[in-house]
Amino acid sequence: MEDQNNMVKKKTSVTGNKSTIKRPKIIIGMGTCGLGAGAKGVLASIEKEVKKQKQAVDIIQTGCIGMCSHEVLVDIVIPGRTRVTYEKVKPDIIPEIVKEHVGKGKVVKKHVLSQMGLNGQDVKHYEDLPFFDDLVQNKNQIKHVTRNCGIINPEDIDEYIEEGGYQALEKVLNTMTPKDVISEISKSGLRGRGGGGFETGWKWESCAKYDADAKYIICNGDEGDPGAFMDRSIMEGDPHALLEGMIIGGYAIGATSGYIYVRAEYPLAIKRLYTAIGQAKERGFLGENILNSNYSLDMIIKEGAGAFVCGESTALQFSIEGKRGMPRTRPPQSVEAGLWDKPTCLNNVETFANVPIIINRGSGWYSKIGTAKSKGTKIFALTGNVKNAGLIEVPMGITVREIVFDIGGGIPKKKKFKSVQIGGPSGGCLPESHLDSPIDFESLKSAGAMMGSGSFVVVDETTCMVDMARFFLDFCAKESCGKCPPCRIGTTLMLDILNRITNGEGEEGDIEVLEQMCGEVTKMSLCGLGQSAPNPVKSTIRYFRDEYIAHIKDKECPTASCVALHKYTVIPDKCTKCTLCVRNCPVNAITGSREEVAFIDREKCIKCNLCYDKCNFMAIK
Amino acid sequence: MIVNLEIDNKVVSVPKGTNIFMAAKKNGIYIPGLCYHPKLTHYGGCRLCMVEVTLRGSTRHKFSCAQPVSEGMIVKTKTPECVKYTKAVMEFLLAQHPLDCPTCDKSGECGLQDVTHDLKLAKSRFSSVRMNAPMRRDNPLLEFNANRCILCGRCVKVCKEIEGVGAIDFQNRGIKTVIGTAFDKPLDCSFCGGCVSVCPTGSWQDRTLGFRARPWELKKTPTICTYCAVGCSVVINSKNNEVMRITSDDEDMGVNEGNLCVKGKFGHEFINSNRRVNTPLIRKGDKLHRVSWDDAIDYVSKRFSEIVNDYGENSIGGIGSEKCTNEDNYIFQKFCRTVLKTNNIDNISNMKSPLLNRLIKDAVSYGIAATTLEDIENADTIFFVGADVTQAHPVLGSMARKAIRQKKSKIIIANVRNVEFNSTARDDIRLTYKLGTQSILINALIKNIVDSKLVDLKKINTSTENFKELLAVLKNSHMGLKKASSLTNIPEEHIKEASEWLAKSGNCFIVCGKDLVEDPSCEESINTLMNLVALIKTGGAEKVSLVFSRANNNTQGVNDMGVVSDYLPGYLDINDPVLKGKVEDFWGAKLPDYDTGNNDRDVFDLAVSKKIKALYVMGENPIVNYPNGKKVKEAFKKAKFVVVQDSFLTETAQLADVVLPSSTFVEKGGTFTNMGMTIQRLHKAIAQVGDSKPDWQIINEIAMKMGHSYSYTTSRQIVAEIESSVPMYKGIEVNKLQRRGFRWVSSEYNKHEPIKYKFKSSGSKPVYIKKNAKYPLLLLTGSSLKHQGTYSRYSDSLVSLTPECFVEINGKTAEKLEIKNGDMVKLESTQGKIKLKAKISKRIHEGFVFVAEDYEWIHVNSLRDGVYVNVKLSKSK
Repeated sequence: MEDQNNMVKKKTSVTGNKSTIKRPKIIIGMGTCGLGAGAKGVLASIEKEVKKQKQAVDIIQTGCIGMCSHEVLVDIVIPGRTRVTYEKVKPDIIPEIVKEHVGKGKVVKKHVLSQMGLNGQDVKHYEDLPFFDDLVQNKNQIKHVTRNCGIINPEDIDEYIEEGGYQALEKVLNTMTPKDVISEISKSGLRGRGGGGFETGWKWESCAKYDADAKYIICNGDEGDPGAFMDRSIMEGDPHALLEGMIIGGYAIGATSGYIYVRAEYPLAIKRLYTAIGQAKERGFLGENILNSNYSLDMIIKEGAGAFVCGESTALQFSIEGKRGMPRTRPPQSVEAGLWDKPTCLNNVETFANVPIIINRGSGWYSKIGTAKSKGTKIFALTGNVKNAGLIEVPMGITVREIVFDIGGGIPKKKKFKSVQIGGPSGGCLPESHLDSPIDFESLKSAGAMMGSGSFVVVDETTCMVDMARFFLDFCAKESCGKCPPCRIGTTLMLDILNRITNGEGEEGDIEVLEQMCGEVTKMSLCGLGQSAPNPVKSTIRYFRDEYIAHIKDKECPTASCVALHKYTVIPDKCTKCTLCVRNCPVNAITGSREEVAFIDREKCIKCNLCYDKCNFMAIK
Repeated sequence: MIVNLEIDNKVVSVPKGTNIFMAAKKNGIYIPGLCYHPKLTHYGGCRLCMVEVTLRGSTRHKFSCAQPVSEGMIVKTKTPECVKYTKAVMEFLLAQHPLDCPTCDKSGECGLQDVTHDLKLAKSRFSSVRMNAPMRRDNPLLEFNANRCILCGRCVKVCKEIEGVGAIDFQNRGIKTVIGTAFDKPLDCSFCGGCVSVCPTGSWQDRTLGFRARPWELKKTPTICTYCAVGCSVVINSKNNEVMRITSDDEDMGVNEGNLCVKGKFGHEFINSNRRVNTPLIRKGDKLHRVSWDDAIDYVSKRFSEIVNDYGENSIGGIGSEKCTNEDNYIFQKFCRTVLKTNNIDNISNMKSPLLNRLIKDAVSYGIAATTLEDIENADTIFFVGADVTQAHPVLGSMARKAIRQKKSKIIIANVRNVEFNSTARDDIRLTYKLGTQSILINALIKNIVDSKLVDLKKINTSTENFKELLAVLKNSHMGLKKASSLTNIPEEHIKEASEWLAKSGNCFIVCGKDLVEDPSCEESINTLMNLVALIKTGGAEKVSLVFSRANNNTQGVNDMGVVSDYLPGYLDINDPVLKGKVEDFWGAKLPDYDTGNNDRDVFDLAVSKKIKALYVMGENPIVNYPNGKKVKEAFKKAKFVVVQDSFLTETAQLADVVLPSSTFVEKGGTFTNMGMTIQRLHKAIAQVGDSKPDWQIINEIAMKMGHSYSYTTSRQIVAEIESSVPMYKGIEVNKLQRRGFRWVSSEYNKHEPIKYKFKSSGSKPVYIKKNAKYPLLLLTGSSLKHQGTYSRYSDSLVSLTPECFVEINGKTAEKLEIKNGDMVKLESTQGKIKLKAKISKRIHEGFVFVAEDYEWIHVNSLRDGVYVNVKLSKSK
């Protein structure tokens, strides 16, 4: 593992300052996270400032490097020096940075995050700046799939080619038969990154064996999990890697057309994919007779209309066909009769992005990363109560603890870790006792969670697990396509019970009914959505049963999150008799005066939480 | 290929590709299930049919509707696990269902009730999450209750797959998912009622039933529909001798697999209509007065006898019925020929296309006529030429869609108008030819097939006659693709592609429609079409079937029964003394001579010229339906004595001297012959309404009164006589006509080898209709989906659904005349004028207008004096 880490570090370093540049470059992170943090204003301010100060610089936009909590990130390279990253940049500090760093070559230290690694070439590093790869949050990561994200300009195919892009495609078309490609992918042990963990090589093989006048390769970019943005980051940050992977896949199965299904909520990803397809066509990587070979492939982008269920492969295919996105039963499998009843191979964005790496570096190299059954790296969207939220790429087999405490930097505000929710609405919650369990397809499944597409939400002690289960179930119930009763009605009935519990109307036996229903809905649902919808409930009951019991029996929410269960009382010792609460109570439920400690009449209280908010002395609980 | 498997310890063998659900059902093993329907593609949404499957050592739970059987499978349907989970799903469904069974029309035949009962469900773990959607009643036929819906998706599928309409689909997501129309607009579809037929709950309801009966009170009698010539099996649901509704649920029965059209499903209210003629009527002065049967029969027989005595042979004209049974028609012509001593008998369909019987006879003897309509379901290429299947034969359209769905058949539709046909066919060509160029189009197809050598020309040359002549004519006609294309107004590539599809398909089904059959040049175009069929067939196709459009339920039968002047029953040439002699011997009576002087003239011409003194009309309304309004009115005026047998006081009956009330199809037994020449059996569902009698019985009584020993007491006796006297009906055994009809064409094929095909070639020239400056538009007529004749006219729900007959005009014509959609317009010809509403339609080209013939209250035929008539259109004030 250590070796590989070094290898990757070297690669990153090379990437950072690869070509010798003649004039300074300003690189700004314009992924959705960057834009959300205000990158547009920063960019405008840079352009203005550069003009004003008459600096000769190249301003380049890039994608997300994964450190979303540090956005806006602005990198500056000046000839002969390493690339320096500024974090949390606001427009008002731009004049200083441009003036000092670009103009005078002086780093504005107080805003610097890091510098890119040494390249062993002809540039000088800054003595007193930390290296990017030495940052705590990057230590346990290895960046293969996201190697270009946040580094190159995603709208410039040359930058991708400069980083070795499309070499894999060239190699495949010139030296490999489709069978070779499939066997290489099979040997690498690559498994689908969309959630199910199906072996990619096997899927390609079973699709390749069908003979048809038309065959399709589809990329599933309908990333709908709340809190997941891995696929978006790849599509925005390195769209050509996805295209290259798809073209190789298309060649392997003999596809005649390719579809990229992207949710319409990702306008930037769509725009960049269109640009990338246009550029790839211009260069002959796509279209008729790719790179003068006999293989031709067309690529079409289909924008989804925002249904979570359209991430399910058969629903996605119906959606492309212009029909309502509803999963269908199998057989036939998609590889036999999928889109328009033709053999179809569908993979996730991240899966395709892995393909060029495997081809370039060989399956032998790839299969050394990860665990026995789960190979390679996995990208997670690390969010929630964690210091360093962002996009991370880690080798399979890494422990939860390493991600939360090393990469994530632990829980902010000195609060305690409670649980981590992996895999979005289909996944489950793992408690503290599972901190040291490894992350791979099998371990997660046995622990009651799921790899899912890779959302990784860290939860601290103030979160109510019943409420969290309710949140995810609510999401699934609303996103159910309505086709089968277990999912359509079953989840709604479960939600009903959870709503009752969080409203203090839970009854004895509710937990048991919920447990039964988890099994029933999982067993009887048609597609993955329904089958995995009860997972958040199942795993929270499994690990946090006490909280459920507290809600039902004691009518109490241990984390005080469920408003309906609040019992407002005044702590006499803390009360300063300021009467602020008395004056603010909208229903006059609080009595008290300058002389008397406040008292809350629970009969009258409507649990509006105003007194709690208003009290300056934490005297109300 | 047969697959053997074990279901619940029972070894069963089923064809490969069957799913476990059907394998179990066919072997009497019950698996609950509400979404699967054998005629629809599987959906897998209700999640009730889970079974345990053991295959090659591994045991798994599978959903039986989605899982095909495989050899050696061991299936268990009632394991505790299966039952437990199925119960859970039912519990979910019932938690959302209103459980309003006492006020639900479906109660008693409800799938949801059955499964609940079967699983012995009682107390639920949940409080309910019901919807409270209002009942949707936005049309007179169907109502929809979203609360009862379990979203099995059957109605959505039936609408899309069977009917090709797709008027309804799922809306919303999650628990709010409902079935609905686009933008919640009122239902606008073909109203086939397929949704009602397949709905397993009470969500879709037939409003003609309207809470008048509980399902268990209904007596169900299978019989044959009385509207178009497809001959769908229907089930009459009656209570207390009143028809409550029509269903067609038995999927193994009939040609239609339970599919119906709007008329067949909902057009039954005429049967118990209070406007039926209930007693015989005799004219005294201007008015028709009620009389007893005895008086009526006395009077009719007396007058008929007088006329026969006074004026001799051939002095009475008889009009048979396209609606009545074969038995009625057989007796009718026998009565006319032996008792009334007249050979001047005919039926409207033969009057409209007098050569068709001979052409069909030719097609049968060449072995190219279809043996059954169901052949369309196996066709690789379907060709509708001059046929508006959606309007005229809707269920045939559904059968074609089945082929398109299951066999990915190609479809070619050639017509003068842009007729509608909804399908999901990938290979679909619409050829809209110029009027009068139909033969050119077909010849162009033939020429392209020959020129491109798409068929085995050598084989054709040896196994047919006159092929060389055909080639020579094709060569000499100078009708290249380009010329044909410019004459017909069809792009060259379409002609090319269509000819390739026809020639290269293994199995081809061709429907020769009304537009060809009733055209003045029908002989030429049908001969050309037969040339095409013979070319494809002998040139290598595995099967080619040609079907001729017939308008009514028994149009084929009335002609088979010889209700025409030139043929005796079974198309025996009346001028052949040997054949005639045989029939005379059989009937024990001398037949009148065929009046050769009448060759080109029909019964009404003879009446107008006073050669005929009396008219006897059975079950027909020629005043409205005969395509020359002026002539037919004159004929009736000039006739001294008119007898009309009908169920309603039609325009024709109003002119009669005697009206005899006849029973409708549900009140009698008998047989109908559909346009695929399949003879199907009727069953009496209710007792005679009022004093009405079956037509054959009325004729029988008149004959007896006139001193002839007609002693038929049941329709069975008549069919027995038909079997022994009509050659092609030999072999029908009425008792066996339960599920499948008797197919007389295939019985003919079994009896005789087809004769060698003889090409009849003529260099076709376009036939132009004369233009008239004063009447600049040309009137086209055709069928209508929602109405047909007297019966639909007295079915109130159908009338309130579609009360208006429109004249369809092209947008440009409308613009010129400043006519807007829905404007009242006046349509005039030299013959007369009518007023009706205008509808701007893309189906019709500039220079033409279209009016459906099937709205009896709009006398479009009063404008006509032939097939095509020049008309003018103006805004009416």
